[in-house]
Amino acid sequence: MESIISGILVSAVTSGAVIIIAAIGEILNEQAGVLNLGLEGIMAMGAVTAIIVVNGITPNAYLGLLAASLVGVLMGAIFAFGTVTFKANQVLCGLAYTFLGIGLAGQIGGSVAGQPAMARFEQIRLPFLSTIPGVGDILFNHNILVYFAYLLLPAVSTYILFITRHGINIRAVGENPAAADASGVPVDRIRFFYTSVGGALAGMAGAYLTLGLTPAWTEGVTGGRGWIAIALVIFSGWKPFYVLIGALLFGAITSIGYMAQIHGWSIPSSFLAMLPYLATILLMVVPILVRGGDQHKRLVIGPSASGQPYYRE
Amino acid sequence: MIESLVSSLGLQWQLEQRTDVSPWRGAAFKILAILLALAISGIAIQVSGLSFPAMLNKVVTSTFGTDYGRQQLGILGTPLILTGMAVIIGQRMRLFNIGVEGQLFMGAWAGALIGLHVDGPILLIMPAMFIAAALAGAIWAYFPTILRIKAGISEILTTLLLNFVARHWVFYWTFGPWRDTFVANLSASERIPYELPTIYGSMHIGIFIALLIPVVLYLALERTVWGYEVSTIGDNPRAGVFAGMPATRQMLIVMLISGAIAGLAGVIEVTGTVHRLSSSISQGYGFLGVMVGILAEGSPIALVPSGLLLAVIFNAGIVLKTQGLSFIAVLALTGLILFLAAIGEVAAKYRRVRVIEDASEDEAREHSTRLVCKPSADGNPERTMERYSDGESYHL
Repeated sequence: MESIISGILVSAVTSGAVIIIAAIGEILNEQAGVLNLGLEGIMAMGAVTAIIVVNGITPNAYLGLLAASLVGVLMGAIFAFGTVTFKANQVLCGLAYTFLGIGLAGQIGGSVAGQPAMARFEQIRLPFLSTIPGVGDILFNHNILVYFAYLLLPAVSTYILFITRHGINIRAVGENPAAADASGVPVDRIRFFYTSVGGALAGMAGAYLTLGLTPAWTEGVTGGRGWIAIALVIFSGWKPFYVLIGALLFGAITSIGYMAQIHGWSIPSSFLAMLPYLATILLMVVPILVRGGDQHKRLVIGPSASGQPYYRE
Repeated sequence: MIESLVSSLGLQWQLEQRTDVSPWRGAAFKILAILLALAISGIAIQVSGLSFPAMLNKVVTSTFGTDYGRQQLGILGTPLILTGMAVIIGQRMRLFNIGVEGQLFMGAWAGALIGLHVDGPILLIMPAMFIAAALAGAIWAYFPTILRIKAGISEILTTLLLNFVARHWVFYWTFGPWRDTFVANLSASERIPYELPTIYGSMHIGIFIALLIPVVLYLALERTVWGYEVSTIGDNPRAGVFAGMPATRQMLIVMLISGAIAGLAGVIEVTGTVHRLSSSISQGYGFLGVMVGILAEGSPIALVPSGLLLAVIFNAGIVLKTQGLSFIAVLALTGLILFLAAIGEVAAKYRRVRVIEDASEDEAREHSTRLVCKPSADGNPERTMERYSDGESYHL
């Protein structure tokens, strides 16, 4: 029983990391007022880029990661070009990106489909910490991207968003772009920049999928994780550290499914496969239940101008 | 440091709304978006070593030149028009139903449930299947709508996540209890004996249903009090509420109708095309419905041509399988069209003006406007703004 629980926890940590990386990217661009529903597509492109670089050019997981993030930046920048520069409808562009990314990744990934990754992120056992009985193996024996997702990324993004003056500017742009503009904050530039950053992180999340978690490319390898990341942004109340809780809960529920299959519990696998999606919907409801209070307060509050194009009057 | 990096991304111009946009301008930009997307993918195909003209030729001849191709157009067009309608009606209330795919699956499942387990005359069973499908689709749309109304949770995410649940639900039945063990390598139920009559080869009367529903909804939206309330609330929710209109109830009704239409699309696939409940009963029709709805710009009438256009693109994917293009590449093409169309939508409504931050006096004068008062026929002065450079005027 103990091995089952620690197995669930380990896989919760690893599968949650994908969601965290993508979700924190989404928090950054939503705080700046750009809703990017195309994470799924960017993740797919990142995933396929990483494995093509690793299997086709050089077996170095870090170069794969770099290439995936570059593709992510590029896609984020094109998204920003459409939604920030041209002010196109963000929801439509996001959907378009989902189709575009999944379709393009499927087409160019045909040659590497089903192949295992030639290089993957090795597990790094943190000295001292990993010897702590009980939690050592669960928390401190993972690949580098897991540490990045759980420690560095939330810390840095929280610092930038909530501690620096620049972060106030970002949130002002997402909350009231007209006021930000009037006080001299470059609205479009900030939006452009953070949409690209969000794209880069989504690309990295994709690379982690094919070089860490799975580690192989198949069509549909993203399996809705991009959408789940966007849902967890709502759960988190647009705060990076709360994403960790959501991602861990999500990861635990997902891995219960895996464990059930491995240990041969008699639940149809289709029902287990539904769990993550249902759990994500539940997670979106939780903050509302927690917040309680009157009808008005219970509504999900995010950056007011997220999803709204800004036109200077 | 970041700030300086951010400000180096210089953007020197901004957009200004056009005062009058004809619908033709919007349509022209949509067509332009499609052509541009085709050109981009043509170049990509050419670069990757395949021949784009040969592919185009193959698509056109096999889609329009053969009986099979034309039938295929009708068969594919049916679910696409319906899913497009499901998306459009939601958008009237500013609700984005991306769960059409899942609602379609649930409708197909509910239809199959009756078709597989109830024996009776077709004239009784067929309507029962359709009603069950509409109900199942509506129920699948009900939960996200309630979450949206009661808790403000984005219906975009909840409807989308429920797609995966619906897919796995149908997987369960087609791989498990309902699996046709006679045809071993098929993940589908047994053949369902209740079939829609065919009119042209394998093309069935589902196309009439797909043409009828938009007409009915068009009349309901344009000619009834209900439709008036829906468009008022959709245009301005606060105004609707102040006028005493039941905004949340209309939201719910609109989404239930949207889900029901999606469910019908599912049962039409079961009874008309596939004749089984298969785990691939929808090949992304729900998602393509979003495309259809956008290209139709929310008009139930423009829905038919844009549904058929998507059918052509979709059919191209099937035809080109033999030419080294995987079917999923079609998804990329539709994504590209959608992205460009979304940009085109804005480009049609706005004009680009330069930001004059460090402009010289002459330049500033060229872009600036002056107030002009002219006497008009009824005696009241007519006030307009006029641009110095070209004398173009704006009404105040």
